[in-house]
Amino acid sequence: MVEKVRTVKDVSCPFCGTLCDDLEIDVDIKKDIVVEVRNGCQIGTKKYFSSNPSDHRYMKPLIKENGEHKEVSWDEALDKAADILVNAQRPLLYGFSSTECEAQSKGVELAEMLNALLDNTASVCHGPSLLAIQDVGASLATLGEIKNRADTIIFWGSNPVHAHPRHLSRYSDFIRGYFRTDGRNDRNIIVIDPRNTHTAQIADKYIKVNPSEDYELIQAIRAVLRGSELDVKEVSGVSIDDIKELVEVLKSSNFGVVFFGMGFTQSLGKHRNVDTAIRLVAELNDYTKFLLIPMRGHYNVAGANQVFTWNTGYAYSIDFSRGYPRYNPGEFSSVDMLMRDEIDASLIVASDPGSNFPAASVKNLFKHPLISIEPHKTPTSAFADVILPAAIAGIECEGTAYRMDGVPLRLRKVKDPPGETLSDKEILEKLIEKVKEKMGE
Amino acid sequence: MADIKLKIKKKLDFPLEADSITPDNFAGKNIADIKKLPLFYATKQVTIGDYFEVSGKSTDVADTVIIIDGDVSNVKRIGENMTGGEIIINSGVGMHVGNHMSGGKITVNGNADDWAGAMLQGGELEINGDAGHYVGSAYRGYRQGMKNGTIKVKGKVGVESMLWAKSSKPSKKWPTLYCGSADAFLGIHNHGGTIVVEGDVDRCVGADQAWGNIVIKGKVSRLLPSYKKVGEVKEVQLPNGEVIKGKFIEYSGDHTIKKETNGRLYIAA
Repeated sequence: MVEKVRTVKDVSCPFCGTLCDDLEIDVDIKKDIVVEVRNGCQIGTKKYFSSNPSDHRYMKPLIKENGEHKEVSWDEALDKAADILVNAQRPLLYGFSSTECEAQSKGVELAEMLNALLDNTASVCHGPSLLAIQDVGASLATLGEIKNRADTIIFWGSNPVHAHPRHLSRYSDFIRGYFRTDGRNDRNIIVIDPRNTHTAQIADKYIKVNPSEDYELIQAIRAVLRGSELDVKEVSGVSIDDIKELVEVLKSSNFGVVFFGMGFTQSLGKHRNVDTAIRLVAELNDYTKFLLIPMRGHYNVAGANQVFTWNTGYAYSIDFSRGYPRYNPGEFSSVDMLMRDEIDASLIVASDPGSNFPAASVKNLFKHPLISIEPHKTPTSAFADVILPAAIAGIECEGTAYRMDGVPLRLRKVKDPPGETLSDKEILEKLIEKVKEKMGE
Repeated sequence: MADIKLKIKKKLDFPLEADSITPDNFAGKNIADIKKLPLFYATKQVTIGDYFEVSGKSTDVADTVIIIDGDVSNVKRIGENMTGGEIIINSGVGMHVGNHMSGGKITVNGNADDWAGAMLQGGELEINGDAGHYVGSAYRGYRQGMKNGTIKVKGKVGVESMLWAKSSKPSKKWPTLYCGSADAFLGIHNHGGTIVVEGDVDRCVGADQAWGNIVIKGKVSRLLPSYKKVGEVKEVQLPNGEVIKGKFIEYSGDHTIKKETNGRLYIAA
């Protein structure tokens, strides 16, 4: 009998920062489409199926003419894209978090050639964490260590049941580890969140904090840890007795970890919330082993920070306008630049600022020429002047990605890219050649 | 005294970076040489002559006064690294005005954008309007920001002003900020800075203050739980010798740093 289906094993899932590396994908050999995904969560599985040809997928390069997108050749599309970038006075290159590291480093090369602004999606998610780490350092660990050792797990402003569905079963909660042989029963899960989330509902303790008052709560915890008697009876909706009890639990644990998400980094206080959390964790190390790990969203946003840093010295919000990299979130971060209307062209790679940025900044983004390197139709690509159709990294091309804890993993190719699509890396390489030609190099 | 007058002659679509506009760079140069000094516009290097009309005469640094007219609210980095002389700006001004300045005086007769007087090492910066975020603060990743000098802001200062300020008792360096009112996280990570606020302050004032003095003559929207009441005082003596009269409630903190701390916060009773 002839085999109809080919199975690819040990696949790293290109969806969230958990980067599960145990997926099994069945591909129909004749049609070259994904027919079955095993071990994946709902979201990761959907991403594999979304790679199959559909109405939503771009198969050919498109150029906007008279308000309509028209199919053109690669050469024509790249020519127009290069024209836009070379003629711009202040181009922005943004995105990069949902593609692989080799493509990201090509993005840095292009930004440097154009003296452009370079930013990745950390700017609107865990950028505050990076700012805080630069200010006060951080005690981090790999997820393997958490799995084998951690007995006290805090999720602060983070809801992994929905955002990182397999995090709990692979690393932080149900999984059995070398020193945590009884899995869930050996771990104490604490959730601190304004909402009673599904993660809070399976926790051992849920602490309800008032929205955007996380900073005050951590300051109170730190002061109690220092042995100070506070004047107040209640902080951020939590009683002082509860805070004292929590401090005792933290001090008496064997190995603790704080996972924090965007409910923490993007609520009032932002990087200062992370700043004080890092200090709390450092101070807890006077009593026991304690660590913290940011719950990174996109599967390779950590990689974007790594690649940008080893190329330029900075993780995000980089400006090449003076020929060398400069860094200053607030001044060179994409949302702030767009709010002040300081860019006049943009190249968006594997990202959708159109549906994630504040409306006022999106308005300014769409005002100017826009190039989108994107596999699917998105609110951003709908407004693009040039659409360069990409293969999906980790499904249709290989590459490297960094997990949320900074561990690099290899992405596999499970099937060929459909239509005329090329990988992000190939597209950026071709674009760099075109730009070089136009700049007369 | 020798005045040099600059008047901006073009409308700016992008910010202009003008770190060359300082008395240090202008001193001893004639008008033609000053016009050749570099500025940066978008991705291009341009000259002062391209964007400003220049007139007047300069002598040595201490006697040089630069007067800037026209709308420079999108011109960044005026007075960067200046060591003496004076700059008078007769409009709003862009980001980083007077950053790293160690002497002389800058007067802004309008509003200033973010990072005004960042990493100030000495001298005086006076803003006769509102100022943006990070007034007199440390730049990203630095743990010692403003070390000396005075910043006076008539209006409001933005978030995280005087971040990581650092005083020095042996060399009598007392970084000081006077302002009308302030946004959140005023004086965060303060290590000896002095802050006097005429009006109200938003949440988290003096967060993680190790030592230093913050005097607030108005109200605080939400005081940190890690501050503790010490008592009431009738006047506050600042380390630079100044005495502020009035009834204040004295708080000690931030107790997240130490159980017993010299950090003080005074709020009008």
